[in-house]
Amino acid sequence: MATLPAFFRKTSETGLPALSPIKPERDPFQLRALPQEDVFLHCKKIDNSRLVREPDPQARGACWSAIGAACFLLAVLTSVLVPSVASTLAGYRLQALRVEERQLLDEKRTLELDEAQLLSPQRLEKLAQGQNLVAPFPGQVVRLNAKGDSAVAMVK
Amino acid sequence: MVDRRLAWLAGIVLIWGAAIFLNIISLQIVHHQEYAKLATARQVVAVEIPAPRGTIFDRTGQPLAMSVPTESVSIDPLRAPDLGVASELLALVLHMDRTALYGKMKWAHDNHHGFLWVKRKIGYEEAQNLRNLRLEWIHIQDESQRHYPKGTLAAHVLGSVDFEEKGNAGIEQVLDAELRGQPGQARMLTDVKRRGIDSQSASDMKPGTPITLTIDERLQFVAEREIAAAVAAHQAQSGSVVVMNPYNGEVLALASYPTYDPNLPPQPGEDKASRQNHAISVPFEPGSVFKVITLSAALETTDLRPASMINCGRGAITLFGRTIHEAHHGYGTIPMAMVLAKSSNIGAIQIGMRVGQANMHQYVRKFGFGQKSGIPLPGESAGKVRKPALWSKASLPSMSMGQEISVTTLQLAQAAAVIANGGLLVKPRLVLKKGNQTVPMEQPVRVLKPETAITMRQMMEGVVLPGGTGTRARLEGYTSGGKTGSAQIYDPVARHYTHAYNGSFMGFAPLTNPAMVAVVTLNGTHGTAGFGGLAAAPVFHAVLTEALRVLDVPKDLPDQTPARTLVASDEESSDLAIADIGSGQPNILEDAEEDEEQPGQPAGPTVPNFRGMTMRAVLAEASAQGLTVLPDGSGVARVQYPPPGSTLRQGERVRVQFAR
Repeated sequence: MATLPAFFRKTSETGLPALSPIKPERDPFQLRALPQEDVFLHCKKIDNSRLVREPDPQARGACWSAIGAACFLLAVLTSVLVPSVASTLAGYRLQALRVEERQLLDEKRTLELDEAQLLSPQRLEKLAQGQNLVAPFPGQVVRLNAKGDSAVAMVK
Repeated sequence: MVDRRLAWLAGIVLIWGAAIFLNIISLQIVHHQEYAKLATARQVVAVEIPAPRGTIFDRTGQPLAMSVPTESVSIDPLRAPDLGVASELLALVLHMDRTALYGKMKWAHDNHHGFLWVKRKIGYEEAQNLRNLRLEWIHIQDESQRHYPKGTLAAHVLGSVDFEEKGNAGIEQVLDAELRGQPGQARMLTDVKRRGIDSQSASDMKPGTPITLTIDERLQFVAEREIAAAVAAHQAQSGSVVVMNPYNGEVLALASYPTYDPNLPPQPGEDKASRQNHAISVPFEPGSVFKVITLSAALETTDLRPASMINCGRGAITLFGRTIHEAHHGYGTIPMAMVLAKSSNIGAIQIGMRVGQANMHQYVRKFGFGQKSGIPLPGESAGKVRKPALWSKASLPSMSMGQEISVTTLQLAQAAAVIANGGLLVKPRLVLKKGNQTVPMEQPVRVLKPETAITMRQMMEGVVLPGGTGTRARLEGYTSGGKTGSAQIYDPVARHYTHAYNGSFMGFAPLTNPAMVAVVTLNGTHGTAGFGGLAAAPVFHAVLTEALRVLDVPKDLPDQTPARTLVASDEESSDLAIADIGSGQPNILEDAEEDEEQPGQPAGPTVPNFRGMTMRAVLAEASAQGLTVLPDGSGVARVQYPPPGSTLRQGERVRVQFAR
């Protein structure tokens, strides 16, 4: 079965005078035809513009209750979870600091060892000899910041 | 219809919820323990917190031994995929011999050992390189390593540790329990990447107790330097020095030579003597330094006094049917003070015979000989003092001059402290503090009357003054007292005394209020240059000069550098003493005491002749010439020392004995 467009094309090719197209009145409620189907669909237009929504305070309250409950639940969950998460993050930080502390203590001990080696009397004597320094005689060293009774007496 | 559907939905949800609930019950209640264990095993790691070994400080707070963290590598040979590749890899990173390492790994693998130390105490870079490999069969463990930053300094005092940081010598061994500490344990919660989230201490870590010694590293260094130089100069076998505070027994320096580096483990073929503490572990016959004990006992138990005249038999004495000669030239009758200053063997024998066997033994024991001093060091020798029942007739005279008895350098220092502190025997202390707590000193025991100790000090001053045997020990700016000793070493195989000597010097300074005592011993010296007065006294001089300066001890003599003491002439060096029994046989009474009397360069006034003058005239004459006289007795001057015409040195006094 030929479709309408195919049919109209066929008639124009035969040389017959083209019929003036008769435009049927379009049903405003008819939907576009489905191809190759004899099914025609119509929609029913309902005009609700004249309807006015009646306020429903119960539904509104329920809505707000739901929102409130959700917020409360969120707040509770947050208040429960945040410390735990913060604690975990702090734990990471604490462990990192502990490791750093231990490393610093180790480094301190290593530096103390280096200091002790540098201050060893053998090394100091070698350095002194290299610079032609000699040990002072007994009593040759006079300390200006005299310690002991004299200093205390001056303060008094 | 709708209700039916809702009922179905509700039923499904209920069943679903019930299934979840049941599963939760299964997880949380029924299988709780099991899953908790699994979770713990995966998430919680037991971490050992190493306890650092306590640091050892000297009395000024300088660290002498300390531990620093290091790492060690171990592997699980059973988990290594290919031993050949593994050994090659490890050998490359750790700079090891690949073949030897492969052999060890193969042996461990074949014997199903899941643990093998690869290398202990590795460097930081090596550890980082290994970490970067990220191989699960390689384990890097925290350890600590003992370091002795001053090298050989005080090695015999400090001792050393083994690979497990357990003390195996010295203070490290004796105080191992305190130094070691107690490692702690923590349980660390980790995430999937094994990063720590939280940790809880399961047991607290207790670090090792820091120990503060009485040793002063500056004095210790000087003592070690001087004894090493003296041993080399006199071709001695070994030597030791002890410097001690006579009042509280604090050992300020304790040096032994030959020495070793405690940082290095014992090497095969190493001289064992280098690890032996000669100051406390090697007893020797003291020789003439022991005359101090004889004379102290005499002052306490007889009526002998410094001015008491002792007949030295002009160099010979007949004893138990045998005639004993002094080696070179003898003395006639000289004051007891001169017996000590000249180190006369026959004089000491005469005095010892007056003291008697029982008193002699009693005082030898009272001075601490024949018993351990209790210093906290391993291997201390008590020396040897025989019971009186085992003494022969010759034992008393022998002991009077320091033979038939063996002592340690530390015991001599303890005895010298008795004289220096006014007659109290103090126990040597080596540990000043444990942590922050001061180690209390033991109550001293009175050995001598204070006046006896002061008299002994005065007599011992004569040893270092011109005419004495220990002039090289004399200090610039300080008065001092001491005693030399040169004992022949007995050869137990040949059963006679050899010509090798134990040269020693014990002394203290300043004289009136001694700040420290020091004993120097050189073992196995040869020839006259190895006698105590020539070999050991200069060491005493060098060590005490430095020690008095470092400890800021005020001078008690005017600032005048005395002229350098000259080496004695042959005649003067032959002051005394081989007691010859004439047979050429080994003789226990042989004493090689040939400590030299050494004249000083002329530096002061000449001593006038006081003989025959009254005390008033003597004092007037001395006052006119600016001399200090120590009169004794009454009547007219009979004996004086130094003799007339000799030259007095700075600080020297003239002793004059008066008699009617």
